[in-house]
Amino acid sequence: MMPHKLFAIPPVVTPANFAEVMQQAIALELATIPTYLSTYYSILRAQDQDDLYAKLLKQLAAAPGASEVDITQLAQELKVDILVYANKAAALIMSVAIEEMLHMALVCNIKQAIVGPPDLLSINKVLVFPTQLDGHEPEFTINAAKLSLAQLATFLQIESPQPFKDPADPRELLQAVKYKTIGQLYLDIQQCIRVNYPGPYADRPQLTSSSPSSARHRPYYAQNSINTVYYDREHKPQFGGSSDSGHLVGIVDAHSAVKAIDEIMDQGEGNTKDDQSLLHFGPDKMPIPLPVVDGKVQFKSGDYDDKSKEELSHFAKFLELYSLGVHYQQKFARIGGLADFFSYFVHDQAPNPKQADYEVVGTPAGLALASRLGNAIFTYILLMIEACYYADEDTQFRVFMYGVHKSMIWLLSGVGNSIRGYSYAKGTQTYAGALTFEYFDFANYAGNTLLTPKEQILGLVEELAAADAPHWGWMTLPENSVYWPSLPDVRLDHRVAPYVPAIPA
Amino acid sequence: MENILPPIELHVCMGLNSCQHQGYSGKNACAGMGDCATVLHPCHTVNECKGQGGCGLFGTTEEFCIPSQNECRYQGSCGAPILDSRFVTQGPNRGTSVWQLARKRFEQKRAASQLPVGPPPAGPYGPSNAYINQLKGQDPAYDNAMCGQSGSKECSYAADPKARAEAAQQRVRQMVEESARRMPDILKNCSCVEH
Repeated sequence: MMPHKLFAIPPVVTPANFAEVMQQAIALELATIPTYLSTYYSILRAQDQDDLYAKLLKQLAAAPGASEVDITQLAQELKVDILVYANKAAALIMSVAIEEMLHMALVCNIKQAIVGPPDLLSINKVLVFPTQLDGHEPEFTINAAKLSLAQLATFLQIESPQPFKDPADPRELLQAVKYKTIGQLYLDIQQCIRVNYPGPYADRPQLTSSSPSSARHRPYYAQNSINTVYYDREHKPQFGGSSDSGHLVGIVDAHSAVKAIDEIMDQGEGNTKDDQSLLHFGPDKMPIPLPVVDGKVQFKSGDYDDKSKEELSHFAKFLELYSLGVHYQQKFARIGGLADFFSYFVHDQAPNPKQADYEVVGTPAGLALASRLGNAIFTYILLMIEACYYADEDTQFRVFMYGVHKSMIWLLSGVGNSIRGYSYAKGTQTYAGALTFEYFDFANYAGNTLLTPKEQILGLVEELAAADAPHWGWMTLPENSVYWPSLPDVRLDHRVAPYVPAIPA
Repeated sequence: MENILPPIELHVCMGLNSCQHQGYSGKNACAGMGDCATVLHPCHTVNECKGQGGCGLFGTTEEFCIPSQNECRYQGSCGAPILDSRFVTQGPNRGTSVWQLARKRFEQKRAASQLPVGPPPAGPYGPSNAYINQLKGQDPAYDNAMCGQSGSKECSYAADPKARAEAAQQRVRQMVEESARRMPDILKNCSCVEH
């Protein structure tokens, strides 16, 4: 499939193209979210360890040569390899995805402050996988795909702090050509802001918190959650992000705008430092992994995005997962009788799945409906975020906390995890279901122009609960009204309809 | 199991009830001695009412400093009941006991109103999974820890189930004892966050 080009990184940033450039920067941050979440939802984070052990033992026993004592110890070791890596991979990918959401909000705040509100739905409409960051040099394809070394290699290209050479183009290996990274785009934006938009800026709604000393202080953003926690080999909790690795910034002038972009670059794209690990490709056209010693990846001082060295940069996190992935894949391949390392904890999902794949005759009806519901809630999340940029602080807080947070943590996540339980045929292969992250056209769904987005979502919920009651029937039970029915009611024109949920007796 | 009275007060965990006879079984003699949560919800933004948010798993640093003290519906972080094994996941207090902080906040609130509070029935560190299963007559193997998609919090990787349970209990024990020792710092961290 030919990649769909998302947008072009411009050669220069000026007041004439500033609004468009900011939309492109928003598109860039937004695109990473379904990319990373697609991979996140492919991972089985917490499988039954006894079942896994039994499976490994059986595979080892079928291979000739090993003693019973050897294989029981080995099965235990391999079990822990799998469980720790799977949970760690999911936690680190989620920690990066959460920071990308912060980055998107920061860029939205900058655009709002200087030229006007962000348009997320238009990006959602054109974001089709596979995609490419057109203008990024070298161009590379981005898939919505399951966890694999190839997918992690793509993540490394997205987050690369410095220009890299395209392994697929032999010319570029021979010539010195000027390349651009996402970080360089942000540097260009900062320069344009400094020169042309000193501020102060007009007071427009932004996603931010008033100061901690304010009586109105109600923060929106949290870097960590149980989903960014993983457990080490001793089952001690480890945290994917540091305690204070970033904050929402209110944009009032050039200084605050530049500071917000510095925060984006420090955490992720464009974190250029001395003595940092870089992206280099080997003869197999795959990234060269870092050394793994006693199960630990060897980092450099510049791989951290904070002085206390609590948190690795996005690039370093993915390089760690990639390096460990290579290490374990080779380890498992050397041992007789075992399957591919990733196959033990990654659902076999097709790359870049489409709603149309699930509408084929013979595919379970629940799969098509679950996918449609997933798309509807993802588009609705973006609509709710847009609405925050038109609302007073109270409304904004309610929409963001009870709408966006609830949707990300419970609704989208619930569908993303449960949809894996379906299987379908594509060509000669059978795959597990996956979210498609396609645009949901609330204005024209099924020819209906009268129902609000929330009404359409609730309609899909009822339809899915009826089509597959064993898996989804719980959604329409009265005691579960805190989930879907309690979503804020946001209209396509960004109005937030008054909604007062009933208080139980 | 004897009849359980309908709960009058809705609270998130053992030892956090306000009044006599308002624990899960209705048999507690005093505030603070209720035997279990009278609300059950998995997590952040899905609690029904004020004061019903648990804490530790999802939410902001500020929210994690006031477990079960949330002002309004949907503003609680995390699931109820709060097991002893639950730890804060965000902010300077991460890794420490949610239940102990919730209990401390409850005691502070009672003291501010000059009202008495009794000792929590399951001890100073909060209810274990085994305690809740026994109280509710559930299968001893039932996992009351919600939000489990990130891996079970009360677990170890030991191959032998008995060794696994012992290792998990020891790890939780270390966390709760460490949290008790650090409580003055935990409260100080919250004080810094709140100001």
